[in-house]
Amino acid sequence: MHQLARNLHLQQDGPALYELRDLSYTYPNGQTALERIDLDIASGDRIAIIGQNGAGKSTLLKHLNGLLSVQQGSLAYKGQALLEEHLRRARLEIGLLFQDPDDQLFCNTLQEDVLFGPLNQGLDITAATAATNTALAAVGLAGAARRAPHKLSYGQRKRAGLAGLLAMSPDVLLLDEPTANLDPHQEEVLLQLLKDFTGTLICITHNLLFAYEICERAVVLDRGHIHHDYTFKELVSHKASLREHGLDFTFRFAESPMPEDLHADDQTQSPVRETHTDGHLAPENSPLIQLQDYGFTYPDGTEALIGLDLDISRGETLAIVGENGAGKTTLVSCLMGLRCGSGEYRLDGKQVTDTNRRDNCQQIGMVFQDSSDQLFCPSCYEEVAFGPRQLGLPNETIKKRVAEALGQTGLSGFDERVPLHLSGGERKRLALAAVLAMQPQILILDEPTAGLDPAGEELLLDILKGLDVTLILISHDLFFVRRLTHRTLVLHEGHPVQNYSTKDFFTDTNLTSLNQLDFTYRNRCGLEIMRLQHEHEHSHQHHHSHEHPHRHGDLVHNHLHEHEHEHAHTFSHTHRTEPDKPSQLPANSAQEPTHGHLPRADQPHDHEHPNHEEEPHKHEH
Amino acid sequence: MTEQQTIHLAAYWLPLLGCGVILCSWLAMRALRRMITTRQETPNEQIPTIDAEASGRSLIHSWDPRFKIIALLGFAFCAVSLQSPITILIALLLTIITLAIARIPWHRPLRRLLAMNGFLVMFLVVMPLTVPTHSGDTLVVFGNWQMLTCNLRGLELALIIIGKAWCVALLMEPLLATAPLGATLEGLTRLGLPGKISEMLLIAHRYLFVFLGEVQRMRSGMEARAFRPGRRWDTLRDLGNFVGMLLVRSFERTHRVYAAMQARGYTGTLPHHHQFRGAMSDWLQTTIWLGLGLGLVLVDRLGVGGF
Repeated sequence: MHQLARNLHLQQDGPALYELRDLSYTYPNGQTALERIDLDIASGDRIAIIGQNGAGKSTLLKHLNGLLSVQQGSLAYKGQALLEEHLRRARLEIGLLFQDPDDQLFCNTLQEDVLFGPLNQGLDITAATAATNTALAAVGLAGAARRAPHKLSYGQRKRAGLAGLLAMSPDVLLLDEPTANLDPHQEEVLLQLLKDFTGTLICITHNLLFAYEICERAVVLDRGHIHHDYTFKELVSHKASLREHGLDFTFRFAESPMPEDLHADDQTQSPVRETHTDGHLAPENSPLIQLQDYGFTYPDGTEALIGLDLDISRGETLAIVGENGAGKTTLVSCLMGLRCGSGEYRLDGKQVTDTNRRDNCQQIGMVFQDSSDQLFCPSCYEEVAFGPRQLGLPNETIKKRVAEALGQTGLSGFDERVPLHLSGGERKRLALAAVLAMQPQILILDEPTAGLDPAGEELLLDILKGLDVTLILISHDLFFVRRLTHRTLVLHEGHPVQNYSTKDFFTDTNLTSLNQLDFTYRNRCGLEIMRLQHEHEHSHQHHHSHEHPHRHGDLVHNHLHEHEHEHAHTFSHTHRTEPDKPSQLPANSAQEPTHGHLPRADQPHDHEHPNHEEEPHKHEH
Repeated sequence: MTEQQTIHLAAYWLPLLGCGVILCSWLAMRALRRMITTRQETPNEQIPTIDAEASGRSLIHSWDPRFKIIALLGFAFCAVSLQSPITILIALLLTIITLAIARIPWHRPLRRLLAMNGFLVMFLVVMPLTVPTHSGDTLVVFGNWQMLTCNLRGLELALIIIGKAWCVALLMEPLLATAPLGATLEGLTRLGLPGKISEMLLIAHRYLFVFLGEVQRMRSGMEARAFRPGRRWDTLRDLGNFVGMLLVRSFERTHRVYAAMQARGYTGTLPHHHQFRGAMSDWLQTTIWLGLGLGLVLVDRLGVGGF
């Protein structure tokens, strides 16, 4: 009923909801973000706007909500330019979900925040409260209405931001990186909420698997231009386009079997057990890191880590996985010496105490989830030199280390660039360079793929594979876990649940219910996309034998004809994956992984060809 | 004219008393801090949420914020105008009773007091040594250390200041913690505070926590790269970079938050959604409080009952 009190939605004049013509935008610093954009968006479209960092996606999104004024060209929403009263009313029916939920939740309680939109729409307090309650219930936060945003988890805040929009019953939903920093469970919750949304949905994301589930159309932006406007299925099935725009994420699936395939082994799980390596490593006897009965309790009494026993040997690669709030970041903070817990902690045989824990950073380096948290210098050189300078190294050594670290991370020549102006991927690599310059024995990575586009992920993976350090990886990204680590520690509510080889982790079917480590939808999408990418047209020589009636003078007869001609047909095939022999090709190789299908395309062959007789064709008689 | 009274104590009393005061203060602070840190609401919480107890139920909670603001601020003004230690003690007692009625957990007001006590202790130390000597004052002299003559009137004045400060600080709990901050600020707006100021206060309170989170994470980022504040110039430069980056991040966030507000229809005024209905009970409570405050002032000024 509360919908009745809402201001009438704007009437749509014309066939398209949005009409963009020759839209261009240049920022005050001279950077051209959009150039001659022509785009029609119909009511009910579900569009993913994708492209590499800096392609102009966010700028376009801000235009669609009228947050940026049109500089050149035109933009019409429901037939009118987004100006003055039309803009004011349009904003009340176009919801924009920001990437950082803290930007969106500006009130002191969740309820006040969600009420904000409906009250601006002109609803009275009773109707607005009803809309608020409905929206909060829809996102599963009905019980948290009176809580302050800073007391909610990240995933909850993200959903609260969405509730603020849903309460306004928007016609259009604009989403800016909706899955950034969400764990798989929260991602799937968000996915279900967006699937239920029936209006026009426009989403910018690097997470193509997520977009594949909710979007039907893909607009690919490249340096401010629209390069492709496909159906989403067309886009993902066209690997060359994905790679051209740095969006090819299929390197994630191409080289190793999917977890489902591994599950097929159906191995019986054992209780907690220690497996140090799977044969790839030759760790020394004494552990580099040794925790015994280690725990950490926050001042409010929250037990973040409980009774943890852990040995990490030199050269080992360990993944720490678990749901948000499982204690992963607290554990690595303790390892870094940023926090001090109870129990015994030995680093390289030396007892770590409250007094000497701050020396740990000389041996351990950590790349934070949000690399902006560790970048604060005015230039990239200064940033990378900061750590070595703190260690008291001479200037010559510092220069050498900076050059090496920047080179290792593909940032040579970035010395004078301002970290704040770098793209997300470059900042992540700069943070890595800043840590590598300190030459740590142990490298900790906290969600290294958060906010990276597929090209950035692939580049980061190559860099990490080339490092000779003991690696501790916190990630929800199972592909990175699989590619980079040999052992996995599973945490749940501060307890170590499993500590076994990564191979065993991938075959463990018991974790989903316990730990919300549910990656099934990602795997489902991935497989679906892989299938699409292998259903494509080949045009090649065919050898046909067939009979058809023809005339020789007065004689009409049938006999077998043989001929060759070239024609196209849709062809399905699968990659030939040898489970015991993974591809030798590097992930970023331009070459296709080994695959084939019979009959081979380069030899004329015959196969069923329905309606061939009706098609015009020529051959000698 | 009454003569000054001088008490002579042996010189060793000075260090003994000094150590005693320091020890007692340290123990009290330590106990308070322990009590407070074990009652933090969330991990890493450095500052308490102002309106954390807004969902409680009590006479104070059900009080219309507009009336509550007038009554408690009015009482606070009366309290600070008191001069007699006895009337100040009564005002303090009334404040504590209010806290009990509001059912506010004790760690909250104690935390508030702890934050200001470091500053207030300075009055205790400085004022006995610095107030001008008047006739009738009692002076304490330690041995031959005439320079360190303590004037007990200075001590009394320091205690009066501390009592008044405690009274006002404690009154802030029932005033601010028993209603959502939005409601309190909206009440203030209805009483004449410019809307822009209350909006800024509201948003500042929300983003204080976000800002502190950023400070913590950035500090950890520096510590993880071996940063130790030292006396070198480098430290100043690094801290400058740190503060500069915080400012840049805050500035950028300001833009994003404003954009998010605009995107949901903000045109310059936050919508009002708190409903205020002044009931008889609100009038009654307000009258009682203002009456008590004015009564204390009268007693204090007229010296009724020998106060």
